[in-house]
Amino acid sequence: MNDLRVVIISLRARLLSTIITSSSVAVAVGLLLTMLSLRTAGFDAFQRGTGTMHLLVSSDPSPLVAVLNGIFYANAPSNPIAWEKYNQIRTSFPYDWTIPIQQGDSFRGFPVCATTNEFFTKFQPAKGEPWTLKEGRFPEKSFELCLGSQAADGTGLRLGQRAELTHGADSVSGHEHGDFPYTVVGILKPTGSAHDRAVFTDLESTWILHAHDRREREGLHELTTVSDLTESDRKITGILLRLPTRPGSDASAALQQQFDALRRDTSIVVAQPSQQIDRLRSIVGNVDSLFLALGVAVLVSSGISILLALYNSMAERRRQIAILRAMGLPRGRIQGMVVAEACLIGFIGGLAGIILSLVGGVVAAAALKQNIGLVVDPSLDLRSAIIVLASAVVLAAVASLLPAWVAYRTQVADHLRPDA
Amino acid sequence: MAVRWVLVTLDKALAPAALHTRRYTGSMKSVAMLQGVTFQRDHGFSMHIDSLSIEPGSMTLLLGASGSGKSTLLWLIAGLLRSTSGSIEIAGERLDTLHEAGRDRLRARRMGLVFQTHHLLADFTAEENVSLALMAAGESERTHHARSLELLASLGIDRPTAKASQLSVGQQQRVAVARAIACRPVLVLADEPTASLDAANRDIAMDVLQQACRTTGAALVCASHDPSLASRFQRTLDVNAFVSQKVVA
Repeated sequence: MNDLRVVIISLRARLLSTIITSSSVAVAVGLLLTMLSLRTAGFDAFQRGTGTMHLLVSSDPSPLVAVLNGIFYANAPSNPIAWEKYNQIRTSFPYDWTIPIQQGDSFRGFPVCATTNEFFTKFQPAKGEPWTLKEGRFPEKSFELCLGSQAADGTGLRLGQRAELTHGADSVSGHEHGDFPYTVVGILKPTGSAHDRAVFTDLESTWILHAHDRREREGLHELTTVSDLTESDRKITGILLRLPTRPGSDASAALQQQFDALRRDTSIVVAQPSQQIDRLRSIVGNVDSLFLALGVAVLVSSGISILLALYNSMAERRRQIAILRAMGLPRGRIQGMVVAEACLIGFIGGLAGIILSLVGGVVAAAALKQNIGLVVDPSLDLRSAIIVLASAVVLAAVASLLPAWVAYRTQVADHLRPDA
Repeated sequence: MAVRWVLVTLDKALAPAALHTRRYTGSMKSVAMLQGVTFQRDHGFSMHIDSLSIEPGSMTLLLGASGSGKSTLLWLIAGLLRSTSGSIEIAGERLDTLHEAGRDRLRARRMGLVFQTHHLLADFTAEENVSLALMAAGESERTHHARSLELLASLGIDRPTAKASQLSVGQQQRVAVARAIACRPVLVLADEPTASLDAANRDIAMDVLQQACRTTGAALVCASHDPSLASRFQRTLDVNAFVSQKVVA
């Protein structure tokens, strides 16, 4: 027999109360750890879509909106950039690559991104992770489609199937370009970025589509071809830029200088995507802190439940304490047992919470991937786990101080009488 | 592995400093000696003992009506109540000058207590109830299990793993006796151990208690309101005659 065994027997004797109290700690610890785990992983995942681009040029109202639209397909950009402007930017500096993109159309709710072949050969959606095809090939000719992994799953389209795009970002407000069927030629593997939701095609076919609308409005009803395109039809909504870097480095010495140079042109907006995502992080950070505060509040409330459970049990345990005291166990040792009992509840609950957060992390990561295409690593940060576990134990110890004081104050002789 | 490490560490942190648990072997004329002991309670109850000596291995009956102060005297000897003045010596050691932790240690190592309602811990098994006394006395943990089983077997308990609440009243009384003599005390204090028993069971209970004390060589001071027990004891003390009791208020 030892003190710990006495504590364990005592916990076992009130099994239901022990389970309920430990569960409340487990839920609190699990919630806190899942939040901590997903917070870091979530923002890391947001950085994935920016990939290897250094700068993003668009005509959106602000750099943040440019990033949200251009990389996360939040909305269809409303202000186009003329092809002439693109050429002007492309030739203004010896960029590593410049890739034009045109967004605005959709297919069954999935955003369409018209671009050049370099989007697949030079741009990487995540650093060191180039595009890979699940099946088929990248678009090479007009009216060919390549589907992001989620777009493929969501639309159910397979290689060789034909599809008609919708002008506008959603199928309700837009209209279908029924005269120009596209053919699916490739399906991409998941990248863990928002690009997985996109449908990719070439610029020329998109321009033809929109030129056809213009020509119909002008009363010209025959099928539009490349030769019908005017300079004003050749519009894009964004330009991905990468500056030359030293081998093995992702940074460019000229980045800031070129960023400032491009910003002088007031007709466009220039964004450093990673900077904007950090900004987004600082904006969302307040909400994030609120969630963390809620997690801590839940943990504190679980501490209160430990206090209540122990305090309520003290009424029936005074005689037990008196007997132990009569046997010669000192007050301090019995007080220590009450604290240890609470610590054990905190520890067991904390461990269960860690397991819960691992399971919760996997479930949440799966849900995030399924619903918004965000790939997060649900792995548990050992340091956070140890800190939260230690906090749960300390909180339990603090919560037990009042019941322990009651135990300390128990008058032996009073509680040993047969009628006590 | 980590869980085990934490539990072991927790256990070590809670464990008391090593206690010397040698059996008392010193020669002495009395295992308990009270001289000029006064005890006063707030509500006017007071008690005075000029001199009281309990000899080693003796059997003493402390007779008195309910509320006459028998339990109070026992708790004074046990160190659970603190005397107002006078000296109390247990096994050659001054109890009244010790601080509370010292009195606890002396009680755990030199005394065994038996109560009217046995006061076993209901959620603990018979074996665990006895082991608790050994733990309190600072006996090596390795010896607890075997010693408890041996004691319980010697007192006829064949279900040492049954919870105390599952045992009959007679078996509970035997477990309570086993617990009291587990640390080989020099003095066993029994407070109305037969008050809730009928005549037949009273005799059995007293046989068990007295036999256990004789076997271990412990002196027994048994408080009771029942004069018919007197024939079982070498000495009978009337608590009213021996203890000066008066209402001050």
